[in-house]
Amino acid sequence: MSDHLGLYALLAPTFILLAVFCLVPFVIAFATSFFDYEVGGDAKFIGLSNYLEYFHDYTFLQSFANMLLLTAFSVVMVMIVPLVVAKLIFSLSSERASYFYRILFLLPIVIPNVAVFLIWQSVVYSEIGLVNSLLKAIGHGELARGWFSDPRTSIWALAFIGFPFAGGINILIYYAGLTSIPDSVHEAATLDGATGLKKFVLIDVPLVMSQIKLLVMLTIIGGIQAFEGIYIVTKGGPGFTTTVPGLWMYFNAFKFQRMGYACAIGVILFLLIMLLTVINLRYFKTTEQLQGQV
Amino acid sequence: MRKRRSDIPIHLALIAIAAMTLLPFAFVINNSFRRTNEQFHGFFGLPVALKDAARFTHAHLSGHPDRIKLGDDVVPYADAMRHCFSELVFGFTYAWGIFRPYMLNSLFVSLASALGVVIVASLSAYVFSRYHFPGHRALFLAILSFMMIPGVLTLVPSFLWVKQLHLLNSYSVLILPYIAGGQIIAIFLFKGFFDGLPQELFESARLDGAGHFQQYWHIVLPLSKQIIAVVVIVNILSTWNNFLWPQIANGDANYAVVASGLYLMSQAQNVANADKSTMFAAYVISAIPLLILFVYATKPFMQGVTSGAFKA
Amino acid sequence: MPFIKYTILAIIIVLSIYALMPPSNGAGQAHLGSDPNRNKDKPASVKYVIRFNPGPLYLPGVIPENSKKPIEGIQKVADEFEKLYPDTRVEFLGVPGDVREWLVTQLSSGRAPDVIQINVEDVWQDIQKDWYVPLDEYLDAPNPFVEAGEPGSKQWWDMFKYPIPTRGTMAPNDKMYCIVLDMIETGIFYNKDVFRRLDLSEPKDWLEFLQIQKTLKQNGYIPLLVDRQALSDWGVDLTFDQMYGELRDLLDLDYDPNRGEYLHGYLDWDELIFLHRKGFFSKNDPRWRELWRVLKDWRQFMSQDLNAIGTDFVRAFMTQEGAMYWGHSMTTNRLLADKNLGFEWGIFYLPPIPQSYSRFARGKDQVVIGGSAMQYSVTNSAYSDTHDPKTSERLKRVMAFLQFLTLPKNCDAVVNEQIALLPNIKGVEPHKELLPFHEFLQRHYAMTKWFYTFDLQFDEVLERQLELYLNGGMSEDDFLDWMEKNLDNASKRIISRKELDVERFEKVWRERAEMRKKFKELPSVAN
Repeated sequence: MSDHLGLYALLAPTFILLAVFCLVPFVIAFATSFFDYEVGGDAKFIGLSNYLEYFHDYTFLQSFANMLLLTAFSVVMVMIVPLVVAKLIFSLSSERASYFYRILFLLPIVIPNVAVFLIWQSVVYSEIGLVNSLLKAIGHGELARGWFSDPRTSIWALAFIGFPFAGGINILIYYAGLTSIPDSVHEAATLDGATGLKKFVLIDVPLVMSQIKLLVMLTIIGGIQAFEGIYIVTKGGPGFTTTVPGLWMYFNAFKFQRMGYACAIGVILFLLIMLLTVINLRYFKTTEQLQGQV
Repeated sequence: MRKRRSDIPIHLALIAIAAMTLLPFAFVINNSFRRTNEQFHGFFGLPVALKDAARFTHAHLSGHPDRIKLGDDVVPYADAMRHCFSELVFGFTYAWGIFRPYMLNSLFVSLASALGVVIVASLSAYVFSRYHFPGHRALFLAILSFMMIPGVLTLVPSFLWVKQLHLLNSYSVLILPYIAGGQIIAIFLFKGFFDGLPQELFESARLDGAGHFQQYWHIVLPLSKQIIAVVVIVNILSTWNNFLWPQIANGDANYAVVASGLYLMSQAQNVANADKSTMFAAYVISAIPLLILFVYATKPFMQGVTSGAFKA
Repeated sequence: MPFIKYTILAIIIVLSIYALMPPSNGAGQAHLGSDPNRNKDKPASVKYVIRFNPGPLYLPGVIPENSKKPIEGIQKVADEFEKLYPDTRVEFLGVPGDVREWLVTQLSSGRAPDVIQINVEDVWQDIQKDWYVPLDEYLDAPNPFVEAGEPGSKQWWDMFKYPIPTRGTMAPNDKMYCIVLDMIETGIFYNKDVFRRLDLSEPKDWLEFLQIQKTLKQNGYIPLLVDRQALSDWGVDLTFDQMYGELRDLLDLDYDPNRGEYLHGYLDWDELIFLHRKGFFSKNDPRWRELWRVLKDWRQFMSQDLNAIGTDFVRAFMTQEGAMYWGHSMTTNRLLADKNLGFEWGIFYLPPIPQSYSRFARGKDQVVIGGSAMQYSVTNSAYSDTHDPKTSERLKRVMAFLQFLTLPKNCDAVVNEQIALLPNIKGVEPHKELLPFHEFLQRHYAMTKWFYTFDLQFDEVLERQLELYLNGGMSEDDFLDWMEKNLDNASKRIISRKELDVERFEKVWRERAEMRKKFKELPSVAN
C-alpha cells in the first residue's frame, strides 16, 4: 500500500492545482446558481428558480437548436475535410512535398481567432465583400444580401466562417492515424478489388476511428462552449437567430447583471457536455474495439 | 510499395484548398504593409510603398532621376528608397514599439506555464498509464471532466478567489491557473503516448530496483521529446492570445502581456480609427514568436502528433 | 535547412538583446498610454499617482488612420498640471472599458483606474452601487483654476458650452457622474458628386428624403448606409419624438428641478414605466405602431447589411458604393484624411416628418440625438486613501486635474488635436469642418432615450428584434408583442433594482384628465 502512496504523491501537483484553480471557482459558480446575485450587489437564495426560469427563457429552444446546428455542422466538417486533406497528403509519393503541405496547413493556427472572424465579416460577407461581388459578377446580383443580417442566412453564414476548415493540427492527427495503417491492409484490399473511394471509406475510415472520436469529442466540447466568435460578428442577432446558450450566459453574467442565472446556464451546459462526452466515449467504437470484434 | 502514378491532380486539389485556407493569413500579412486608405480602396493589391520603390528603382536604373519624386520634390534615389522602406514598415515599427515591453512578460508567462504543464501533466499521465491503483478510473475521468466547464462560468469566481489568495498583480496569477487548466488535455495526450511505450523497458528497470520517479525520469522523459513538443505548442497557442484574464487579474502594466496590447490596439482601431496597418502588423508581430517556435518545433511536433497520442 | 535555422537563431538573439536593452529616452518610442519611461524616475516626493483612462480617442500614442503623428494633447495638459502639483503624477492608460467583465470585476474590487471613460448606459446600470462618485458637489462649486469673472468662477457648470446635452448625461436619480469634455453629433454624410449627377439636393422633409433614396437605389447605389445599432438607438428616439412630440407636456409627469430647465419634458425611466402601465407604448397605442411602421417603410432604402461594423460602412461610402452614410462627427476626420477620396461630400441632418406622411407628425425639426462623447467618470479607486469620498485628499487631487482639464486652453489642446469631436467648453471653437454638427447641437433635446433609459437587456432585445422585424423575419404584431414583453420585463427589473416609486404619478395623471381630451388617438385604455 505504501507503494500507492508514492503514486498519489506524484499525482498531487495535478490535483492540488485543479482543486485550487478549477474546482473552487466551479464550486463557487455552482453555488451561485442557486442565488439571485449581481456582482457588487446582494445575494438572495432562491433555490432552483434560476434553473426553472431558464427552461422557460425565450431564447431557450432557439439557442439550443442553433447550438446543435453549429456543433453538428462543425462535427461533420471536422470528420470530413481534414481527413480528406490528410488522405490527399498521404497519397503523395514525395516525402518532401508531403512535409511541405503539412507545414502549410499548420500555418494558420498562429492567427488569433478574433482576426479571422473580423476578416470574414468585413472581407467575405460584408455588403461590398467577396461573396456579394462574386454573385454580381456571375449575374446573380439578386442573391446578394446582408449575410449576417438576413434571418434566413445568418446562422449558415456563421457556420461557414473558416471554410474550408482545413487549417490547424487536425490534418496532422488524421495523418498520424493514416501512417499507422500497415501497407499490407491496403494491398489486401486492392487484391479484393476495392478501389478509390470505396477503399477509403471501407479501409481508411475505420482505421482512423480513434482519431475521429477524439476530434469529435473536442469539437463537441468546443462547440458547446464557443460564443466569442458569434459575439464579434452578430451578437446573436438578428432576433435570436444566431444566439447560443453560451452567448446568453455571457450576456446574463456581465451585461444583464444576473450572475446567478448565468451560472445556472453554465451548469446546464456543463452537464450537457458531460453527457455527450460519455455517450461519445461509450457508444462510438474505437479502432481497437472495431478490430477486436473482427 | 506504393503505386507509381501522377501526383498532379492531388497537388492541384491541395493547392486549391491551401489557397482558401491561407487567404486570411496572406491578407493579414499583406495589409500589415498597407495604410488604411490603401486597404479601403481595395482589399487586395500590393502595398503602395512597394510599388513606389519599384517605380523609383526603374527610374533610377533607366537613368531618369528626375522622376524620383516624393510629393513634388525630386529627391536622391537613396532617400526615396529610405522613405519607401519606412512607409512600408510603418505599422511594424509602431506595433513593435508597443509590444516590446510586453514581449518578455508574454514569453516568460507562456514558457513557464508550458514548462509547468509538461512537468505536472507528464508525471500524472505516467502514473495513470503505468499503474493501476484504487480510484484510477474515477480520478482520470475527474480530470477530464474539468475540460467541460465553460470558461465564462468561472471567470468572476476565479477572480474573487485569486483576490482572496492575494495573488493579484503577479506572474503567478497567470502561470498557475494556466498550468491548472492546460494540464488536462496534456495529461490526456501524454497518457496516450505513454500507453504506446513498450512494457519491457519498465520491467527491466523495475528489476534493477528503480522507483516510480526514477523510471519516470530515466525512461519516460528521454523517450518523450516529440510529445513534449506537441504539449508545449498546444499550450502556448492556448495561452498566447489570452488577454482577458491578464487584464482582469493584473492591472499593473509591469505584468502586461502582448495580448493585452493587441486588445488595446484593436480597441483604438475600432473606436478611435487608429491606422489599420498598425493593427495588422500587430497581429503579425504577436504571431512571430509562435512562428519561430514552429520553425524549431515543427519536426518533433509532427512526429509527436503522428506518434498516435491523439486518439480517444 | 540548418542555414535557415541558424539565421533565425541569430535574428532571435539580436532581437532579444534589443528587447532587453533599456529603451532609449528619446521621442519616437511607440506606446499606448503614457510613455512608460516618463514615470520611471519619479522622485520620492510624489504622493499621488492618478490613473486616468481618457478613452481610445485621446489615449496618448494612438496614431489615427492615414496619419503619422501619435496623439499627445492630453499628455501635454498633464505635464502642465504636474508643474503646478509636483507631488502628483498623471498616468494615462488604455483599458478594456468596453468589456463588461473587466469593468465589473475591477469596480467591484476597487481596482479600476481613478478616472475612466465610460458610456452613461453602463454607469446608470450601476449607480445604486458605490462604484462611481457623484460629482454634483464639485460642479455646483467654482472651478478654482478659473479667474474671477470668467465662466466657471461661480459654478463649474457654467463652463460647459452645450448645457442641454451635457445635462442629458445626468443619471435619472438626478446626480451627475461624469465630466463631459466634448460633444458628438450624428448627421447624414452624402456624396455631393452623386447628388449633382442625379440632380438631387439636401431634403427639406421626410418625403423628399425618401424620394432621394428611391432615386439613388434606382441608379444602383446603396442609398443609405446605416447599422442596426444606430437605428435602434438614434432612429427610434428621433422617430419617437416626431410621433409623440405634441404630447410632450401631457407625458412629462415629473418636472425635474435639476434638468428641467435644459431638458424640457424629458421622460425618465419611472415616467415611461408609468405611461406604459396606462397603455402607452403598447399595441393599443396608435403612435407606437406608427413609429415602427415609419422605420419599416424606410428600411427598403438602407444597406442590406444592418449588422456590419461601422468601418465597413465608411469604406462603402468612400468607394462610392453607398451614396449616404448615417454617421457621426468622428467620420469627418476619416474622410478628410483619405488621400484617395475622389469626390466631394456634405453633411445634413435628418429632415422632419410632415403630417402628409404620418398623421401624428407635425413637421417639426428633428431633435438632437448625439451628445456627450468622452464621459469621464470618477471611480471608487479615487478615494482609496480614506475610503470615504468626503474626507479623501486623493479624490480632491483627481478632481483638481479634471477641473484643470476643462480650462479652455487645455480642452482645446485635447479635443481639437483631431477633427472628430466638438469642444464642450465655452471659448473653444470647433474645427470649421465640424460646424454643421455645431448647428445640429443647437436643436431641442430628444424627449427620451430608449436605449439608455432601461437596462442593457432591454437594449439587446430591442436591437436584435428590430433587426429581425426590419428584415422581414417577424410580423408587425409579433414584434409589438415582443416589445411589450421587453418593456414589461425591463420595468419589473428596474423597479426592483432601483427601488422606484411609480405610483406617485397617479395624482398628476388624474389631474391631467382634461388635458388628455385635447388629443386624438391616445391609447384606448389611457383613461
